[in-house]
Amino acid sequence: MQRFFRWLVGAGALPPAPIEAADGNELERPWLRRWELLPKRSAGADFTSDDYTHARARAVEVARTTLGESLWAELERHGYLEVHSRRFPGVLYRLRVGRRIEVRCAPGTRNPWPMPFLCINPEYPLPEVEFFAQLYLYCRDREDLIVRVAAPQPWDQALGRTF
Amino acid sequence: MGRIIVANRRGHQVVEWDAETDTAEARAGVEEAERILAEARAGGCLISKKVGDQHVIDTEPFDKTVKEYQIIAPIAGG
Repeated sequence: MQRFFRWLVGAGALPPAPIEAADGNELERPWLRRWELLPKRSAGADFTSDDYTHARARAVEVARTTLGESLWAELERHGYLEVHSRRFPGVLYRLRVGRRIEVRCAPGTRNPWPMPFLCINPEYPLPEVEFFAQLYLYCRDREDLIVRVAAPQPWDQALGRTF
Repeated sequence: MGRIIVANRRGHQVVEWDAETDTAEARAGVEEAERILAEARAGGCLISKKVGDQHVIDTEPFDKTVKEYQIIAPIAGG
């Protein structure tokens, strides 16, 4: 009914119809919202400390599913994962949870970027371990997008859009 | 049973569909899953699917026989 009245009074495009997730709650589809004004390392003013705790716990499940047991064990063992560049021979990306990507070069290999760290954030807030697993997929399967969006930085730092 | 993992600030939520049952409800579930992936792609997201025990980025159209998809957030520099 609310959608109909919005349409009737010319209040812009109808908002997308809600979808129910398997947990019985409305599915949050973050790609439909704008997040630019959110403070750094925040999930929004409506988020409680319990929400952060639960989100981080649930994120571990998904990150583990995304990476598979072998990579997950490697992450736990070393504290990072590495992906060899397919585009730049001798270059590898070292990823740590919640941090910028470190670009490491074999001896004699020139860094294709002017600085050793690449700052890449999700466009909407995510728990950092969950985004870590997604960033791993980007580095391994869609390096072209990493190259296109990466912001080279001189030092490491926590990412601003994860928490 | 197939599922889409929707990574969001809640950690994640799941949407499921049943590709093996031929009922109106099951077909609606499949259509909704396909619609969610299309909407996410239109919003700049990537899609991954589970192959073996890990996810890989997937550029193929929705396949109702896939066991697990995940919606991957768009990325931005800085």
